[in-house]
Amino acid sequence: MNFNIAVAGNPNCGKTTIFNALTGAKQRVGNWPGVTVEKKSGHYTHSDNIFDVIDLPGTYSLAAFSAEETVVRQYLENDEADVVVNIIDASNLERNLFLTTQLIELGKPLVLVLNMMDMADEKGLQIDVDTLATLLGAPVVPVVGRTGEGIDLLKEKILRVSTEISMKARLIDIRYPRDIEIEIEKLHQLIQKNDVTDKHSRWTSIKLLESDQQTRDEVRLHNNCADILDQAKISINRIEVLFKDTGRATISSARYGFIQGAMRECVVESLIDSVDYSRQIDRVLTNRWLGLPIFGLFMWLMFKLTYDIGSIPMDWIDSGLVALMNFISDLLPNSMFASLLVDGVIGGVGAIAVFLPNIFILFLIIAVLEDSGYMARVAFIMDRVMHNIGLHGKAFIPMIMGFGCNVPAIMGTRILESRRDRILTVLINPFMSCSARLPVYVLVAGAFFPDNAATVIFSMYILGIIAAIGSGKLFSRTILKGMSKPFVLELPPYQRPTLRSLVLHTWERGYLFIQKMGTVILVGSVIIWVLGYFPTEVELDRDYGSERTTLAQYHDSQLADLESKFKKSVDQDRSGYHSEMIVYESSSSYLELHEQFQLLQEELTSEKSKQLYSLRQQEIGDITEQKWIGRVGKIFEPIVRPLGFTWRESVALITGFVAKEIVVSTYGVLFGVGEDVDEGSQGVISGLRSSGMTPLVALSFLVFTLLYTPCLATVAAIKRETGTWAYTFFSIAYSLGLAYSLAFGVAYFGRMFNWLS
Amino acid sequence: MFNFKRPHHKLHTSDENDLRLSDLKPGEKGRIVEIGGSENFRHRLIEMGLTRDAEIWVDKYAPLRDPMELIVKGYHLSLRGMDAQKIAVERIA
Ligand SMILES: Nc1nc2c(ncn2[C@@H]2O[C@H](COP(=O)(O)OP(=O)(O)O)[C@@H](O)[C@H]2O)c(=O)[nH]1
Repeated sequence: MNFNIAVAGNPNCGKTTIFNALTGAKQRVGNWPGVTVEKKSGHYTHSDNIFDVIDLPGTYSLAAFSAEETVVRQYLENDEADVVVNIIDASNLERNLFLTTQLIELGKPLVLVLNMMDMADEKGLQIDVDTLATLLGAPVVPVVGRTGEGIDLLKEKILRVSTEISMKARLIDIRYPRDIEIEIEKLHQLIQKNDVTDKHSRWTSIKLLESDQQTRDEVRLHNNCADILDQAKISINRIEVLFKDTGRATISSARYGFIQGAMRECVVESLIDSVDYSRQIDRVLTNRWLGLPIFGLFMWLMFKLTYDIGSIPMDWIDSGLVALMNFISDLLPNSMFASLLVDGVIGGVGAIAVFLPNIFILFLIIAVLEDSGYMARVAFIMDRVMHNIGLHGKAFIPMIMGFGCNVPAIMGTRILESRRDRILTVLINPFMSCSARLPVYVLVAGAFFPDNAATVIFSMYILGIIAAIGSGKLFSRTILKGMSKPFVLELPPYQRPTLRSLVLHTWERGYLFIQKMGTVILVGSVIIWVLGYFPTEVELDRDYGSERTTLAQYHDSQLADLESKFKKSVDQDRSGYHSEMIVYESSSSYLELHEQFQLLQEELTSEKSKQLYSLRQQEIGDITEQKWIGRVGKIFEPIVRPLGFTWRESVALITGFVAKEIVVSTYGVLFGVGEDVDEGSQGVISGLRSSGMTPLVALSFLVFTLLYTPCLATVAAIKRETGTWAYTFFSIAYSLGLAYSLAFGVAYFGRMFNWLS
Repeated sequence: MFNFKRPHHKLHTSDENDLRLSDLKPGEKGRIVEIGGSENFRHRLIEMGLTRDAEIWVDKYAPLRDPMELIVKGYHLSLRGMDAQKIAVERIA
């Protein structure tokens, strides 16, 4: 037989741990249809039955406030699950049972799991499991998810509840105060009489008393709904008069009343003074004076480790890629296919692949911060700052991650609970200057601001932060207003992360990144290669071949002239030389002449190679201009001309759309210094300088590079996390617009006041 | 930013008890008298266990003075001052 098992519970109750313990490594991660809430599923076999397990998102209630709650409720109400497994944190029983009371009312076959029994023991809580099972009318299994203790028993119970009819019967209702019960009963009877829903009708009655919109809408679809809705209104009014609060608040409070009654009967709190270790740790980590410096230190360590450790395998990957390129070039010399593989695929994907170690290390560190419980403290410490932008404290983490790479940072917005916060954080994240932009800054700032390069680069980072904050404020007051949620954040106890969970978390996210490399970036790189490769035959206005010959001949004749002049002078000098002591070639006058000659010769030679090189650059520029990529650049040139850019900048920016690092290699191609330019490369620098770019234009170019859409992978991540093309296109349009306006501002005012010309 | 549509349920503001959760200092304990604010906000808090008569402990304030850390029903919870201001409490020893 095949059974569907749904795992439900509060956030931090250990749901993921139990899910993993049940299903092992056989799990799939996807999204719930229509929303970006993660959907995890897996399966296991027990006594020849297959159990398909769905890990529902963690929620405190079934009120359908958030996307997560809606997902859980819809799934459970749609009858897809045969058995609901409710994970309860035994060390935090009272609040965890709130969701349980709702699950009981939903009327599904239920297995209750008391997880974290070890923590409950530590806290000095003794729980009478059998009494609790009787009171709640469902089997209760105590487990320790971390060690796997009790998982076998849990599987046994799930099997029995799935297969034995007697185990499915719901024996217990949550009893409410008499006055509420009377109203529930009235609605209950009306609903049953009219046969309105196929759901548990007590659940429907209670939800109506809670003024639940979704339930009302469902009831409205039936005949005789008016009677029921009228009765609901009357009942709610009565409750409000009697209890001096809304129906919903009254019922929620009554649930807690029921829970307190149950706790009195089956929980004994021993009087030993247990130590709240988390509180002790927080005395330091969220201390008024130490909290911020320690947080700063952790952030610094995070970057340090990410870049320092990441750079070791980075070099290996780099040399591996170079070796691979050479191998392929040797194997298939000068064919189109070789160029596609080497310049297109390996050059493009490889440019991103070298960042993989950094990304995995960053994810690992973030998993440690999350699993240990420190992430909630980061939200606590930084909320004041993020609140300014209309965001939740947790949103600080993806912002910091953005300095590394926007793709994992945007995926990291999943830690935020509200969809509005997630979208807002996703939209402002690209302004955090990622590491891929650094090579561009280094190159351009190095070429035009050699004395102040560091200051210019640092200003770019600051400008990015200002753009992010400003846009955040703007969005939260315009397109994303009114959707904000109050800040209600649980600070779970600190835990030592388990290796298994760290590996799983890191791999899950890292894998998404690898997937992206294999798709978006691969396709983008090939497209750019195609644009740069075709047409293979180009017509040039100038005959570079003969120009080169003429140039070489001219310089060679100059050199020959010089040499003959030198010889003449020497001969003249020698005839007037009379010393017998020293041979002429060692005389001071000869040495002087010779030195002069050598200097002039060097000058001429270097002038020759310089001119030949510049000619070669012009040729490559001209060729590229004729290629599709150049034509595309030409098309966009009029648009970027007000910023002071030429078709070269337009090409560089277009290719930078695939990945920002590519801006540098594009300039490499445009100035004919080959693909592997490093940022300091003199060829590109002299090319840039001689192309007529002024420091002002360079600055405007840097501003544009900082602000416009970071890369295709980021676009894909935005689409994935916001779930809509609308926000994706908005993000592209907004960042392009902002980049253009600010770059224009720099160019315009710069010209006006004659700065940096 | 928030939906200030007032629910029909209002916070009693009798003079002798106008103490708010945000007025309590670290280490002080209170009992919830009433929660104001929007419907959604009130329900969110009630579902998290901040019911009428629930006991609440102010553990500390964040380094930047906001938000605050509370202990309710044996677990740690953080609220912003502006939200804690909507919660009327009475001080208990
Ligand atoms: N002490 C203890 N810790 C546990 C137990 N089960 C899970 N945890 C830890 O509790 C934390 C939250 O667990 P997780 O499964 O991620 O919770 P989720 O948010 O509900 O998915 C993790 O650090 C787990 O290692 C348990 O039975 N005992």
